[in-house]
Amino acid sequence: MSDITLKNKELVGWRIASYIFMAIFTLLTVGPLFWLTYSSFKPHADIMQQTFAFPRAFFFGNYTRAWEIGKLGGLILNSIFYSFFGTIITVYLALGAGYGFAKFGYRVSNWFYAFFIMGLLITAHSVLVPLFVMETRLNIDDTRLGVLIPYVGFGLPFMIYLATSYIKGIPSSLEEAALIDGAGYLQIFWRIIRPVCQPVTATMLIFAFLSNWNEFVFVFVLTSRQEIRSLPVGVNAFVGGLSRDFGLLFAALVIATIPMILFYIFFRDQLMKGFAAGSLKE
Amino acid sequence: MTTLGNKRASYALLTLPSVFIYALVIVFPVVFSFVLGFTEWSGFGAPVFTGLSNYRKMLTDLVFLHGLRNNMLIVAVSVFGQIPFGFVLAYIIYRGLVKWGDFFQTMIFLPITVSAIVVAKLWNQFFSPAGMVTAIARILQDDPRFVFAIFEDRALAIVPVLVVILWYYTGIYMVIFLANMQKISPAVIEAAIVDGAKERQILFRVVMPQMTNILFTTAVFAIAGSLKSFDLIFAMTGGGPANYTTVIAIYMYLNTFKYYNYGFGSAVSIMIVILSLGLITLIQSVYRYFEAKYE
Amino acid sequence: MLHKRTFLLVLTALLLATPFVFAGGDGEEAEGDDVITLTALGYVDLTNEITTTNWEELLAGWEEAQPNIKIEWEYLFGEPYHNKLQSMAVAGQLPDLVFLWPGKRTGDVTGSGLVKDISSYVSPVADQFAPAAIAPQGANGEFYELPEQVTATHVMFTNNRLLDELGLDFPETLAELLAQGDVIRDAGYIPIAMDNKDGWQMQSCFLSALVARTGGREWLDAARVGDASFTDDEFVDALTVIKTLFDADMFSPGINQADYGEALNAFAAEEAVYLIDGGWRTNELIKLMAEDAHEYVSYEVFPALPNEGGLPGATALVAGTGYGMNANLTGAKADAAWEWIYFFAGPEGSAIKATQGWLPAVKMDLPDTISPMLVQLSEFVNNVPAGYVIDAVMDGEGMGVLHPAIQEMMFGSITPVEAAARYEEWVAANDSSR
Repeated sequence: MSDITLKNKELVGWRIASYIFMAIFTLLTVGPLFWLTYSSFKPHADIMQQTFAFPRAFFFGNYTRAWEIGKLGGLILNSIFYSFFGTIITVYLALGAGYGFAKFGYRVSNWFYAFFIMGLLITAHSVLVPLFVMETRLNIDDTRLGVLIPYVGFGLPFMIYLATSYIKGIPSSLEEAALIDGAGYLQIFWRIIRPVCQPVTATMLIFAFLSNWNEFVFVFVLTSRQEIRSLPVGVNAFVGGLSRDFGLLFAALVIATIPMILFYIFFRDQLMKGFAAGSLKE
Repeated sequence: MTTLGNKRASYALLTLPSVFIYALVIVFPVVFSFVLGFTEWSGFGAPVFTGLSNYRKMLTDLVFLHGLRNNMLIVAVSVFGQIPFGFVLAYIIYRGLVKWGDFFQTMIFLPITVSAIVVAKLWNQFFSPAGMVTAIARILQDDPRFVFAIFEDRALAIVPVLVVILWYYTGIYMVIFLANMQKISPAVIEAAIVDGAKERQILFRVVMPQMTNILFTTAVFAIAGSLKSFDLIFAMTGGGPANYTTVIAIYMYLNTFKYYNYGFGSAVSIMIVILSLGLITLIQSVYRYFEAKYE
Repeated sequence: MLHKRTFLLVLTALLLATPFVFAGGDGEEAEGDDVITLTALGYVDLTNEITTTNWEELLAGWEEAQPNIKIEWEYLFGEPYHNKLQSMAVAGQLPDLVFLWPGKRTGDVTGSGLVKDISSYVSPVADQFAPAAIAPQGANGEFYELPEQVTATHVMFTNNRLLDELGLDFPETLAELLAQGDVIRDAGYIPIAMDNKDGWQMQSCFLSALVARTGGREWLDAARVGDASFTDDEFVDALTVIKTLFDADMFSPGINQADYGEALNAFAAEEAVYLIDGGWRTNELIKLMAEDAHEYVSYEVFPALPNEGGLPGATALVAGTGYGMNANLTGAKADAAWEWIYFFAGPEGSAIKATQGWLPAVKMDLPDTISPMLVQLSEFVNNVPAGYVIDAVMDGEGMGVLHPAIQEMMFGSITPVEAAARYEEWVAANDSSR
């Protein structure tokens, strides 16, 4: 953070207001998640009767039972699969397209770019039915590929926006020098553009991973076999259930939530960099 | 000529895979929706062309109009709530006005990493008639039948949803602003301090002008996101009670996936795009106006 | 060179994953000659321990009975089930077996020609079933599914222990019920537990029975085709009863904010004297309530209204859900599919389900070991006069108008007359029966 800080009286008011502001936000975020986490170690009856009390003893039954009946193990592997490959493919495609749109100077780039940006306005629900019909015709419904393709398609607009605006900010002298040295465009992309793009790549990877991990609708509608579904779909089954065993529900919610929180805390700094550079020059 | 051919081929190789997938997943289905929007179709048999009647029906439906009103409130909360909040929070951390800036930054961003279903479920745990906040309020009010009346008020039922939206998404704006503030050369701010600038002046005279571009960009994202908002509200309230908290995306979802009016549902989804484009054009002209005024 | 290594790593991973990506879809080609494999979309709440255990027992019985028919299940529950079924139907990709409703709930799918008319299979076994279950489901006498049960959508579950404790008797009339309100509330109990956040509960579990009282089947038949109107007194009076009860604080507080199940929990925890819900709750009440409670919970109908011009003392009944088959099935596959359909609803499956608290549609002697609550439900369904369930005979889309109108009426922003007029307006313009 910035080291340059004012040392005067005016600042006291700012500081107090800042702390209050920050404290409220933190409390709103941490409180419910903390409660959710410790409640997940209580049996249903205890949650109902002593809603706020800490667990008397750590009760892992909710986790084993939720894991078992929700088949969460397989779902987590699938979530990792979709998030990992969906993210890698989207990000690299977006970097390539971003290079094309930013540096090649073709007029058609503007059209393509505008087209992709329009994609930010489209809701997943409005393409579901045509997409489902199309996938059944192509015989890729109910396969992992059939899930990955819409993940990539819906990830591209924002990723291309980030990549293009970043690459536009890279000085052209770099690639011109390489061109004179006889390098091909694809070589320039791989040897020069891609390494220079590392900060924005990190941002794109993390952001895409987060949104793919929490994605629900596509897996839900486009797959029917339990073996290829992902974690949010499994968790939703607990939410929609009529049995209302809060212990099970909370355990499932914690299982769905904790990995991404850890993921974010781990990659927090990388996430920041690209957002900054992403708007180096508009 | 070989370099030219090489250039074209490279361009194609770099961009066409994206264009192809994008066309397959978004462009084709949207065109399909656009055409379907002028028809009546239940999913079986051939669609019947009905011209603009879907749009006419939509614009005279009170439920749609109430949803539109709620959507506009969400846009307002996003543009005039999330963005200023995010900006202020980023500024506080950037200027080191609080200690543990990293910690607070993490806390504010954290909600984004939690899926909307979890957030909605937690909310219901607290505020439903069987929820814990309701239970506490019953004790405080000494009224065993106490419930929060705000959820049953046509005009105000959306307010709790707006509060959750504000909390949920502010973090992402904060991160974007913070990242861009850190690009500002420290020398500029040092110079301002040496010149005796007050905190307010640093904010409005030094930092803000460098942020106009990114403010505009985030406003565009906020508008686009607001008009599509669905997951969180659907999981929280389902649009109810009595459609009080409905939004256009829920209205579209119900018509398409519950009542199987694919033609009508498609028209509503096209309407979302039209409204987004309209609002973005509006904000663009506001931006141009201010840009021209500053220069 | 770090980048190169990352790249290689990604590439290797991609290659390794390729078979994984394309896995699935078809398969199941290699199997014995005499084994038939069917795909099925089942309606089971996998997170509900009670129903899941029951289902597993049922499947075990099935595998024992039909070792040569293999069924590959996919399970969904609630709204997601309907979304998926509809998407599959639109794409023309129904599985071999699907779970269906007799009325309008899955009417789009059954009306599409994608589901086989199984009447030729049903008629030889029809006399094994309760007559109410064997009502034709299509316009020309088609059967699309074989009902597993006959469902009473309105039961007024009554906790007689609490009534005794408060010195009350089950009320004969609406006025008597209203008079109990203060006593019950002062003792800290909820008079009538109900939850109506989703909106269908009030219509299906209560309004339908009230309309049966005020107008009977004849009136709804007439209103459906336009010979009567939903603005008639029959309908407005029924709505007014709901409004009266709401205004007198008889329902659970925050009834329109409560998720389906909160009321059941309150009743099972003995915090409420009455619960208005469907007969299908029996199974869960048996599991949720202590053994001795099974003796003092009784199955009643709502007390008499001042003007019961239709069917006095009526509940509302609908033939139950069951499985149907894809219209493309022929020959041995169709016969195999029927084996499951008949197993599920017929004597074998019903015997298993009866031990779990389900009341079957098939005529059979109930085992002695079953809960007294199930015996009561059986008597209730067989003896109480019954009208239609509104959403089984009227279009589902209209429920999107009626349900919010009932909620708004309770909030007081519209009157019962206005709520009725709003629904009539929609029906007149859109309902497929008009």
